[in-house]
Formats: sequence, C-alpha cells, structure tokens
Amino acid sequence: MRRTKLYMDTVVDIQVIPGSTASLEEVEAAINRAFAAFQKVEQACSRFNPDSELMQAIQTIRTPVPISAELFEPLKFAWEVAKGTDGAFDPTVGRKLEMHGFSRDYLTGWEMDTRSADASATYRDVVLNARGRTLLLNKPLVIDLGAVAKGFAIDLAARELQSFSGFLINAGGDLYAGGLNETGEPWEIGIQHPGQSDEVVDILRLTNAAICTSGSYERPSEQTPGIHHLIDPRTGVSPKEWLSCSVIAPFAMMADACSTTAYILGADRGIEFLKGMELQGMIITSDLGIERIGGI
Amino acid sequence: MAKMSKKWVALCSAAIATVYAAGLYTTESQASLDLLPRMAEAGRPLAAAPTQGGSGQYKDSQADKATKKASHDHTAEEPTKTVRPAIPTPTKAASGTLQETKVVSQKPSKYNDGIYSGFGSNRRGSIEVNVTIRKDKITDVEISRFGMSYSESDVVGLPGEVLRKQGAKVRNVSGATYSTRAFKEAVQDALSQARNA
Repeated sequence: MRRTKLYMDTVVDIQVIPGSTASLEEVEAAINRAFAAFQKVEQACSRFNPDSELMQAIQTIRTPVPISAELFEPLKFAWEVAKGTDGAFDPTVGRKLEMHGFSRDYLTGWEMDTRSADASATYRDVVLNARGRTLLLNKPLVIDLGAVAKGFAIDLAARELQSFSGFLINAGGDLYAGGLNETGEPWEIGIQHPGQSDEVVDILRLTNAAICTSGSYERPSEQTPGIHHLIDPRTGVSPKEWLSCSVIAPFAMMADACSTTAYILGADRGIEFLKGMELQGMIITSDLGIERIGGI
Repeated sequence: MAKMSKKWVALCSAAIATVYAAGLYTTESQASLDLLPRMAEAGRPLAAAPTQGGSGQYKDSQADKATKKASHDHTAEEPTKTVRPAIPTPTKAASGTLQETKVVSQKPSKYNDGIYSGFGSNRRGSIEVNVTIRKDKITDVEISRFGMSYSESDVVGLPGEVLRKQGAKVRNVSGATYSTRAFKEAVQDALSQARNA
C-alpha cells in the first residue's frame, strides 16, 4: 500500500509491504498513525506558522515556558548536537534564514518576520530543562528545527510501521527503510544527481536504516544570491564546497542532523566528523566528484 | 567521537520512546488530527512590505494571542500536558517589548468545508491532490495521483567515477529536500473550488 501527503513543505510518501499476517484495515490504520506523527511534529515544531507550539513558545523571553514532548525532544536532541559540534550545528540560525527569505508557509504563503530577534544569538542563549520540560530564551531569537524535525517525524512514523514485513518512508528525500521491499530484498535507494534531478549518481541497499541528504541545489534563497537554505550559523554564509552530503544512520533524526553538520563543516572537517561518528556517507563535491565514507 | 555517536543514537531512541508513550494517552479521533490551523488562502500575492499591525487574524496584542490560544486549543490533550500561561510575562528586552513575530498576510477568504480535488502539472508530469478544508483551514493534503516519471537514461559522467547504468527505474531517491512548488498549483486549484463564491 502506498500513500502520499504533504507535511512540512515536503512530499511524504509511505509504502508498506504488509506481509501475510496483516489485514488491509491494520495497514491503513498504521499508515494513518504514521502520517499523524508528521502532523503532530509539524504542529509542534514549524517555524512558518505563528500558531505552532514553537512559534508561540519563543514569544516569551527570560521566562521558562513548559512545552510538549513533541517539541521538547527534538529541541533537546538539536541542542545536544549544537554542544557536540561547538555550534557548527545551531538551530538559532532561524532569524538568518528568515532574513534571506526562508520565511514562507508552504500552504498559506504567509511570511514570518521576527523583527525583534537578535541575529547574533546562539544556542548558548537557550536553556532546556528536562525537569519541567521547559524552554527558556535569554534573548529574542528564532529557532529553526528544520534539521531535526523532519527526521524526528520519520522516526516516529517508522515506529508505527515496525510490525510489517517492510516499509519505506520518504519525506522529500530523507528516508527510512524498514525491513525488506516487495521482492524480499533490502530497499534500493538512489542518491540524487545534484544537477539532474531525474538522475541518480549511485544506488544503495538499505534495511532498518535512515538516509538523509543535505544539499544546496534545491532551495536557493530568492532574496540573496549565493545563499541557500543551509547557512553556517557561525558565519552567516552558505558553504560552497559540496553540492550534497548524504548520511546513513540508525535514526532519521540523527542522519538529518549529521548530514547538516557535515555539510556545514565541509571539506576535511566534515569528513573527519563523519568518520569520527563512525557513520557511512556520500559526498558530492562542487566539481561533481564523489567522496565515500565508511565503506559505502 | 564514537562515544558521542552512541550517545546520540541513545538520545534518538529515548526521544521516540518518550513521545510515543505520551501519545498513547491521546484518543485517536479524527478531531485530534486537526492540530495545526492553517488558513486556506487562494494564491494571492503577498503584500510587498510588512504592514504594521497586520490585517489578518494574527495581531501582536496579548489579548489576541490569548484569544487565539483559547480558540485553537487541541482536543484530546494528554493528561500530563502542562498548561501554558495565557499571557507571557513581559521582558526587559532592549526595545521594551516582547519578541514579536509579525505575520504578513492578506485576510483569508471564506471556504466551504469538504474535500476537494485539484490538478497541477509541470514538465515532469501531472499531480492530483485531495485537500480537506474545515472551518477555513487546510487540515489535510493527500496526493491521489502522482504521474511524474524518472528517465531511464545513463547517468552523466562524473570525473573520477565509474558510470552507473540504471537497468530499471529507481523509485526511491534520497536528495536534498525538493520543494512542494509543483504541488502548489494543484492545491490552489482545489482551494478555488472550495471557495464560497
């Protein structure tokens, strides 16, 4: 069974190979729950809708705001990644993204413009407290969970589909491959060619793993030449060395954060990062060369 | 860094378990899935410059925020969900005001509730979507037909790499997030049918 819906400005495609024991109703219900995970995460984490829990929460400065688990958990993970990468990965890049035009809700077309945000804020200006499950902003800033929220939704959706013989969740190019495909083999995943979207540069076989790709070629800024949606939080500039970086990990949220981090670090430091994390990956450089990491 | 890798894997696992457990307390009624109020807007151009105060529903005043929260509260809450303060505490930020996120928007038009089909096409093919509208909000967008194709030609040569030929269409592709632009036309088409003329 295969269904496709739109969430988080992304085409979310879910395929399920039921296996012999599942009924059609069970599969349908499970796919509904999987999509519901995307809806919940979008409602909690969207930067583009003023009604999302995140956008409501960041209206408050210098007072801890209690938030739901759907918002707290991806924030917590994102902050862990920020600390571990010394800010190369930093969700407070949100205001910079807004300023370069990455501010529009994909369904309504409304634009977000947080004028009072301090564009120099960093992840250090935010405190998360697990005890009260609270978020505290010490400065006005905009949090962008784009590099963890989609992965998180994929992982939650995957959990709903684990009982089936195989499934594939593809959220706009970030994927989780569960079990085996319709022919009983690991899922066949193509890595998109950066220049020609109808072509792939390689084909990988995955089972029970996620792959996420961060790249410059799909979302350039409509406002600022030379900027695309991946911005180095430390410099405010979009890296140019790589066209894309694909990372394989046990969870999509992790693959998502790691592909973003590696892409921001670029050249040697990004590869060093992936090797240190013992992850497999594939990088397509700006001159269309391929770097393979972890024996992929 | 292998230690950090294991730590992150453990965090991901715990995050999923936490949210999953919290979710088990919610009822799975259809109503609970309408969580994000997204105003249905029929593809009109945005205002070029932001307007002070905004003409739409999303104003900056605290009273409005509190009202908005009350009317858009989710049904089917978890018993453990904590209550957010209705009016955030004012801060001592330099400008002396709360952080404001202005939303630049047009006033939305009225739509009839229902599920509407819309069509769109681009150079890759055609799309059909089903858009669900409830109380002037888009609550669901499902793609009912996806007539886009990938070519079967050889991959263009890359320096220093062996060419990979595709024997069959690769249906699952990982790439940088492609935008939903192609679907906007189809969604707008559906919305135009929903409009309360």
